[in-house]
Amino acid sequence: MTQTRTTLTIFVVMLAGLGVAERLLERQAAAQARDGMVQAPRFEVDPTYPKPLPNNWVLGQAIGVGVDAQDRVWIVHRPDTLAPGEAGQDQNPPISSCCAKAPPVLAFDQAGNLVAHWGGPGPGYDWPQSNHGIFVDHKDNVWIGGNVGTDRHVLKFTQDGRFIAQFGKPGPVLNSNDTENFGRVAKIFVDPRANEAYLADGYGNRRVVVIDADTGAFKRYWGAYGNKPDDTNAGPYNPDAPLIQQFRTPVHCAELSNDGLVYVCDRPNDRVQVFTKDGTFVKEVRVAPRTLGDGSTWDIAFSKDPQQKYLYLADGKNERVYIMDRASLEILSMFGDGGRQPGQFFAVHSIVTDSKGNIYTTETYEGRRLQRFVFRGVQMVPRHQGVVWPK
Amino acid sequence: MMRRNFVVVMLVAAGLAGVAAQSPVFQVDPFWPKPLPNSWILGSVTGVAVDSRDRIWVVHRGQDSLNARTEASLASTPPGAEACCRAAPFVLEFDAAGTLVSHWGGPGEGYEWPVSPGGLTVDDRGNVWIAAAGPPDVVVAGRGGGEAPGARGGGGARGAGAAAGAAAGAGAGAAAAGGQGRRGGGPAAPPRPVDAHVLKFTRTGQFVLQIGKAGDTGDAASTTRLNEPADVAVDTAANEVYVADGGEPPRIAVFNATTGAYKRHWGGHATPFARLSCVALSRDGLVYVCDRKNNRLQVFRKDGTFVTEGRVSPATLGNGSVWDVAFSPDAAQQFVYVADGQDMKVFVLNRKTLATVSSFGSGGRWPGGFYGVGSIAVDAKGTIYTGETYEGKRVQRFMRK
Repeated sequence: MTQTRTTLTIFVVMLAGLGVAERLLERQAAAQARDGMVQAPRFEVDPTYPKPLPNNWVLGQAIGVGVDAQDRVWIVHRPDTLAPGEAGQDQNPPISSCCAKAPPVLAFDQAGNLVAHWGGPGPGYDWPQSNHGIFVDHKDNVWIGGNVGTDRHVLKFTQDGRFIAQFGKPGPVLNSNDTENFGRVAKIFVDPRANEAYLADGYGNRRVVVIDADTGAFKRYWGAYGNKPDDTNAGPYNPDAPLIQQFRTPVHCAELSNDGLVYVCDRPNDRVQVFTKDGTFVKEVRVAPRTLGDGSTWDIAFSKDPQQKYLYLADGKNERVYIMDRASLEILSMFGDGGRQPGQFFAVHSIVTDSKGNIYTTETYEGRRLQRFVFRGVQMVPRHQGVVWPK
Repeated sequence: MMRRNFVVVMLVAAGLAGVAAQSPVFQVDPFWPKPLPNSWILGSVTGVAVDSRDRIWVVHRGQDSLNARTEASLASTPPGAEACCRAAPFVLEFDAAGTLVSHWGGPGEGYEWPVSPGGLTVDDRGNVWIAAAGPPDVVVAGRGGGEAPGARGGGGARGAGAAAGAAAGAGAGAAAAGGQGRRGGGPAAPPRPVDAHVLKFTRTGQFVLQIGKAGDTGDAASTTRLNEPADVAVDTAANEVYVADGGEPPRIAVFNATTGAYKRHWGGHATPFARLSCVALSRDGLVYVCDRKNNRLQVFRKDGTFVTEGRVSPATLGNGSVWDVAFSPDAAQQFVYVADGQDMKVFVLNRKTLATVSSFGSGGRWPGGFYGVGSIAVDAKGTIYTGETYEGKRVQRFMRK
């Protein structure tokens, strides 16, 4: 009896203690929230990734990044954006012992070794005037778009660079209701279940197009809010004006989530629009809406949990990556800042996640890098994480 | 991994020389300096120096070398972005931990801020000297043009209109903006007179002395005028300042460091200098001169008597190989480090023989890579600091292994 009472007393004290501990934790969390701390994925930049390129190769504008089923990281860049003074080895005669233009398509393994390189003009297809975006589909094929001049097509290759298919032909961009060709496609995403490719179309057109991933047959397309696209030039974006009913060019990404929603980067409009696969508008969110010019919504990747709880949004104008709650589209946290050091950005253009949840980014303009951000778990993090150097 | 690369590079160099050369080995520190506050970013870096307190000083070209539309979005009216970026002040002082400890620079009373700074140095009394070297140096230009992949060359194009590109594009508006090649924000200002002077400030940025006058370019015999001087070095004991003067032909000109009074000058030995880009004084009283486009380092006594010369990467064309030098910190200053912004390398030379014993670095934007590495300095521990111009736009440090 005494023993039972003692045990009971201990139990009650323990319960009270737990309660106190719980309240303490709650108070701590609340305090952290007051201090701007939130629960969100935390990342650290890996300054040793990738390894230095062989052959004195250097990158031009790094304009796309993808990850394949083996977690190899694929990038596409623009060798011809290198100034002769930087690609001195390629001049005739060579003016220096460094550097040479790397081939446009490069793949790296998880250790950062270069494991594939190819790309450029070849027989049977039209290499884009300005390659843009890269995606590796469920059949291990590599897709590439193009965003300048007569680029009205997308290309599909094997991982060793063998040409498979070209959908669309180069020529003058017609309009966003053309069902023969595209209009300077920024990015491709292939739905493995339906074997359909979603094209962010693009720099010339103002729509999302869905095609059969094998035949290229047009299946459907839509504009902002699911409207029929209209190419009337709405002029420059004005943050204080009513939201326009069409996308502005470029429509810069169209990413499909596991639960069948299509997230579209309406870049100069500083917004992401969400659709069902048939183009029915679901919702939208404005991000950094006072951003002008290039806009704030450059590219999207999802966290690797099955629910894809988090959405990562690259903003090459404000030089940061937003960590958003995918369900609410609320910005939980963000990392990055301007500059040329590890973890900083100049025009962070493309973003992707690997199977471990690590983030890879590429930078265009004069940023010209691939960077890796290692996933460190979901933790209490500041709302503004700044430059995420390893702790 | 990085270490292995450096070792490989060293062995290759030794193999070329046919002897087992001894050379210091370095490893990049990717986390120096700390991120700048206030969304500040660096423009093209033209000068790096270490002072007697092992503080690291940097001068860069600021807004003039930043792309107003894509890079310095906060500098325009209205701002083009919500969060980033704007040019950092021209002169930045860091401690060895990489913390920004002071910053100043820009136009002020009584002196002419350069169109483009060149090298900077800090004398033993703590005065900060800056060469006024503008218009800026030219990268060999790329193909021009709007949103096309044709490239814009790196920064600093002298009248080449090589704006950092717009090729990620933003539709029609961006294409138009991207091809214009204008840097800096605001309406086009009337052209400023070319730089023809050097400036002396206290370490807190108080103006002390200006030698020469903007726009008043002198010939190679002038005792009062300069012409786009690239670099300065100070002999504190003799109270003299050595100026790498870009006149026609280029020369080393020496002035009293307090009054600015002319003392003496001399030109290249055997052949004229071709694009002078540095002047540096060793402890044993020798004057090292970067004769950049001749790919050579010439060495003189303080009175201008020629002593010796060394060639570095002699096959280099373009902007040449010898951009800036620094010495190892041992008493004998056994090694000379040469920044080569055309080959994207730092060469290690034996100071006595001027033979190249090793090199490190390659092209690229990752840590330890270079684009236009044009400035170099060494602290008392032997750590190397580099500055990159054009679109390199960063300072890096390399720790002695």
